[in-house]
Amino acid sequence: MNHYTISELTIGMTESFTVEVTEEMQDKFTEISEDINPMHIDEDYAKRHGCKGRLVYGMLTSSFYSRLAGVYLPGEHCILHEVKSRFHNPVYIGDVLTVMGTVEEVHEAVRTIRIKAVIVNQDGQKVSQAVITAGVQEY
Amino acid sequence: MSREEILSKVNDVFHDVFDDDSIVVTESTTADDVEDWDSLMHITLISEIESAFGMKFQMKDVVGMQNVGEMLDIIEKAVS
Repeated sequence: MNHYTISELTIGMTESFTVEVTEEMQDKFTEISEDINPMHIDEDYAKRHGCKGRLVYGMLTSSFYSRLAGVYLPGEHCILHEVKSRFHNPVYIGDVLTVMGTVEEVHEAVRTIRIKAVIVNQDGQKVSQAVITAGVQEY
Repeated sequence: MSREEILSKVNDVFHDVFDDDSIVVTESTTADDVEDWDSLMHITLISEIESAFGMKFQMKDVVGMQNVGEMLDIIEKAVS
């Protein structure tokens, strides 16, 4: 985990990590969210509707923005204020995603940073993008 | 940039931040006058105003501001 303070954060700083989306993650997300839409839980149904398999929840993909901010950028001192995300391409179980964030703005007076984030799959396709606003707490 | 122009641009920022084009801020507007202007939205507002005007507030400014007029005073000094 990173421990950046507001004074250590500068425009252009970048952090990234990779993660494989597993069936277990998808099933846990179904349990947590109780979103039982068949596109997410029924393989045959999803295939009949043009997908390669069960469609991974967009909000599961977005949950990696939480890890990006809370563990990497800024890390320990993060208080998440806002995540504005868009989904560009489907994500399937087994996909390996690279989650990357770059600091675009630093507002020291209000101890806040704005991060431009993107998630790409193993084929280099952008599956999601987001603008994250995070507070950086002082302890 | 004149004070009127600054106020107009500040109004635009309020519209974007609060997603409400009906807001009309004046020099005497305070957080009590705008629905949803809470502490978190204040942080968002300050950061959006910094971006819009290409300036930076000091932490003491953020704490001490009593109304939009005082906000304009700081912006006016920064952009002049």
